[in-house]
Amino acid sequence: MPEVSKMKKPDVKLVLLGDMNVGKTSLLHRYTERKFKDTVSTVGGAFFLKQWGPYNISIWDTAGREQFHGLGSMYCRGAAAVILTYDVSNWQSLAELEERFLSLTDTANQDCIYALVGNKADLTDPRAQLSQDSDEASKDRMDCGEERTETQVLSACPTPPASPASLSGITLGKQVTPEDAMALYGRILRYKGLEEKSSLPAEKMCFETSAKTGYNVDNLFEALFDLVLPSILRNKNENQQSPTVDLEECRGAKRGRPGCC
Amino acid sequence: MSVKAFELVPAVERDLLMGDKARINIECIECCGKHLYMGTNDCFIHHFLLDEVTSSKGKLTYSAQKLLHKYLGLKKPVAELRAASALERLIVLCDGIVFLVDMVTLETVPSAAGGGAKIRGVTAFCVNENPVNGDPFCVEMGVISSKKRTVQIYMVYEDRVQLVKEVTTPEQPCAVSVDGYFLCLALATQYMILNYNTGASQDLFPYNSEDRRPIVKRIGREEFLLAAPGGLGMFANAEGVSQRAPVNWSESVIGAAVSFPYVVALDESFITIHSMLDQQLKQTLSFRDGHILQDFEGKVILASTKAVYVLVPLPLERQIQDLLASHRVEEALILTEGAQQNIPKDKFQILHKRILQQAGFIQFGQLQFLEAKEHFRKGQLDVRELISLYPLLLPASSSFTRCHPPLHEFADLNHLAQGDQEKVLRFKKFLISYLGEVRSTEVANGCREDVDTALLKLYAEQDHDSLLDLLASDNACLLADSVPWLEKYHKYFALGLLYHYNSQDSAALQLWIRVVDADLQDSTRSGLYEYIVDFLCSCSNPDLVWKYADWALAKDPTIGVHIFTKRPVSKDVTELNPEDAITYLGKHSQALLLFLEHLVLERKIKKEKFHTHLAVLYLERVLSLLSEAPADEERLTRARERLQALLRESNLYRAQFLLGKMENCEQLLLERATLHGKLEENDKALHILVHKLKDFSSAEAFCVWASSCRDSAYQQQLFHLLLEVYLDRNLPGKSQAAAGGGELEMAAVDLLNRHGEVFDAVRVLRMLPEGWSLQLLRPFLGRAVRASMHAGRTAQIAVGLAQSENLQLLHDRLKDRKKPIFVSEKKGCHLCHNTFSEPDVVCLPGGAPVHTHCVAQRVRDSPTKRQLTNSSNHT
Repeated sequence: MPEVSKMKKPDVKLVLLGDMNVGKTSLLHRYTERKFKDTVSTVGGAFFLKQWGPYNISIWDTAGREQFHGLGSMYCRGAAAVILTYDVSNWQSLAELEERFLSLTDTANQDCIYALVGNKADLTDPRAQLSQDSDEASKDRMDCGEERTETQVLSACPTPPASPASLSGITLGKQVTPEDAMALYGRILRYKGLEEKSSLPAEKMCFETSAKTGYNVDNLFEALFDLVLPSILRNKNENQQSPTVDLEECRGAKRGRPGCC
Repeated sequence: MSVKAFELVPAVERDLLMGDKARINIECIECCGKHLYMGTNDCFIHHFLLDEVTSSKGKLTYSAQKLLHKYLGLKKPVAELRAASALERLIVLCDGIVFLVDMVTLETVPSAAGGGAKIRGVTAFCVNENPVNGDPFCVEMGVISSKKRTVQIYMVYEDRVQLVKEVTTPEQPCAVSVDGYFLCLALATQYMILNYNTGASQDLFPYNSEDRRPIVKRIGREEFLLAAPGGLGMFANAEGVSQRAPVNWSESVIGAAVSFPYVVALDESFITIHSMLDQQLKQTLSFRDGHILQDFEGKVILASTKAVYVLVPLPLERQIQDLLASHRVEEALILTEGAQQNIPKDKFQILHKRILQQAGFIQFGQLQFLEAKEHFRKGQLDVRELISLYPLLLPASSSFTRCHPPLHEFADLNHLAQGDQEKVLRFKKFLISYLGEVRSTEVANGCREDVDTALLKLYAEQDHDSLLDLLASDNACLLADSVPWLEKYHKYFALGLLYHYNSQDSAALQLWIRVVDADLQDSTRSGLYEYIVDFLCSCSNPDLVWKYADWALAKDPTIGVHIFTKRPVSKDVTELNPEDAITYLGKHSQALLLFLEHLVLERKIKKEKFHTHLAVLYLERVLSLLSEAPADEERLTRARERLQALLRESNLYRAQFLLGKMENCEQLLLERATLHGKLEENDKALHILVHKLKDFSSAEAFCVWASSCRDSAYQQQLFHLLLEVYLDRNLPGKSQAAAGGGELEMAAVDLLNRHGEVFDAVRVLRMLPEGWSLQLLRPFLGRAVRASMHAGRTAQIAVGLAQSENLQLLHDRLKDRKKPIFVSEKKGCHLCHNTFSEPDVVCLPGGAPVHTHCVAQRVRDSPTKRQLTNSSNHT
């Protein structure tokens, strides 16, 4: 039986959004390849197909650079979950989420779920400094220096973002607390016109991670996969009913509408 | 990171087109089968016939033959050319006018009577390759009109064009592509999808058409390739969703096309080729003055201003092999898997398997065993390909030959490891684990002998623990090939197992015996001797047992006898005849004894012969110990205990015979007493015990033992007998009476006091001498009186209980027979037929109620009927 995973149609879509240099690619890389390595600034976007049990989940890694900003809403179209990523040591990266990225999610599914992820927690939180894969520990320590140089290289790239985000990224103090993130989560719900009571609680949807040490990364993805399962099942259901897209056919959508959660 | 996916082959050279006229440029091209059309800036259409020529070396070239050229008469450049081959028409855009030209003559088609064959005010158009109209002689076309913000849909027929739809757009469109009902448009500031049937639109992403020329390229069913800001090639489907990650072009891309699985793009000086599978740049070709890049029916054609080239894809297999040759395994696999949809299924499977196998060997060579194993598994590698790399592992009889063309470049392991012993070891360890995993799967089907034999050889050579597991379980190791190998590594125990597995138990035993006898060295198994004994024990061939048991018994009779004593009782193992075994064991006395003990004591075989034989052996042993000069007391005691136990427990031996054997042995009195007891000569037995041995406790024990399976009367009789022996004053000589008599009397008293319950107290009292004091017998008497009282009272209780039970039963019986009797004012008396006025009634037998006075009357009348007395009253 030939493996055709590359060509398989994904059952559901997750999108990573966030300002440049907050670590979207590293997060995805840590989750899929279980290591932390140098990444270059993402051009346009990339995606990864994750086989999760019987399901195929596509995770889109978007480019944070302002240059590619216009593509964001296309990536978000039909997304079941959006991971809004910021850098805990950079207040501006959180602010950017609200200012620039939130509007991109307008094209996502009606029942799309939103997660707020503060990456680089290892810079501010001693707990996150413990590497979760012990065998990777020594290697990560060695990579440590390179990662910081990468930061500087990127901030010196020829198309710097308008905000001083990448410059303040070098200061290692914690600038964003979980409470800030939860407050933003509340504002996102209001923006989406969602009731706070009937939506997923902020405590559950705000994460702090470290792609460098692996802290909380698996938790984040696995938790989201669990939460998008209803969407997967609905998509599968619809696909079974009509394998090709039929614009006149609206029965599928009616039948597949899930109970609101 | 480059791969050679395409070759640039010239198709139409410059001089063929324009000779030395320097100012003529190519503006557009169209290719339809072998026909190549070109539009130039001087308003000509040129028609060439393009032939593919494959040289003897397999190199592809093109030869172009000019058929015709035609001036369109508009003095403006020809902007676009599209062939509608079914109509034999070229659709031409020149000077803002779309019109039709005959494909052969290049003559402009005159307008039909009913309608025009021209569209004016056109800036761009595109042909729908996925038309919604079923008519094969009609071409659908999307047209951008210079009229503001409009896209028109036309149907093109042989001699006319017909407007079918006009849709407005939010901004002025500048490029269009169409698939089905979906228009993909580049507007001034963004791309969008527009369904011209429903009018539904979907914004894609913003883009500044003034900065860069937009590209809108249909690449498949409802999927488009678009030039995005930042030099990206973005994919978008009709729903406005990107299903593939973008490719990273340069900022100045002029044209793009898809030749699966590659995206080909042209900029000012290069052709770049990206894979759609991993978005990586795979090849860059230098191409100056590039002007046009288009794909026609899968053929990618480029043009500079002066000449035309074809971008010829190299065969996929060659690309993959190139990648493999440079050890780029992942890319090769991605390319293979990506090509699945372009290759027939069965052909793909063969290719895919082969690539997986090759990939596996590359990783194998790099000692990436985990990955290699995975690829071997997926590629269903014939394991023998792998085994054959290791010298001498495949059996000589194997018919295997390596696949051709070869899957790898390695001659053998030595070539691969270059003499590095540590590497050799790692390769071998890998093969061990791999073979261990596959030997029980379907991969090993058809070559199980080869796999198992190779594994055996590796295990033997590496001194691996699993060697024995392999041989002890189901295996297909070839004997002929394995024997010399196992001998070489001194794995004699394992070899024996292999012999055994091949039903050559005799060979196995001979080998093992030589190891035990230290003729051969193999320390694999400690306790091999015991193993052999076990082996013989469960050996199903009696001849082998008879043949080798001697050796085992000579080595150690106590363990050797297990061959006979521990034989499992089952259908598979033939039962050995015990008599044969006894005869066989004749010369091994110790083993014989153990075997008889096994038969008699463990298996409890009820055969007189065995019991007597065992008893005789025991006796002989005791006698021989007795005859030793300084008697070993301890051993003697043990031997006697055994003899005594057997004599006591068994009822089958010939007591008389044994008694005869020890008649004159005064040391074995206890045994003789037991034998007498067996013969029910209790008086003799007790006589010996009391008078000869003076062992009163044994005498008592004898009574208990001898009566153990008998009723209490017999027991009583036996105890009385003993008492009589104690009290018999006549028998012993008077000389002893003074001393011994007192002793015997004390024994009698003790007996009575200890076992009082057995005796009949009345009889005892009669027997006892007058002079004995009450105090002496107090425990006995006390117990006797108490027992008597107890018996009496128990009897009374039993009587009482029986009576009460009787009463209870009587009550139950009455209750059962008598139903309630209803009396009411409406019921009449059976005797006087008057009704009842009082509750007091009398029942006649049968339950009929009557007045008391009626009964009295009746009794008085007939004195004979007086059985009514026990009738009860009911209210």
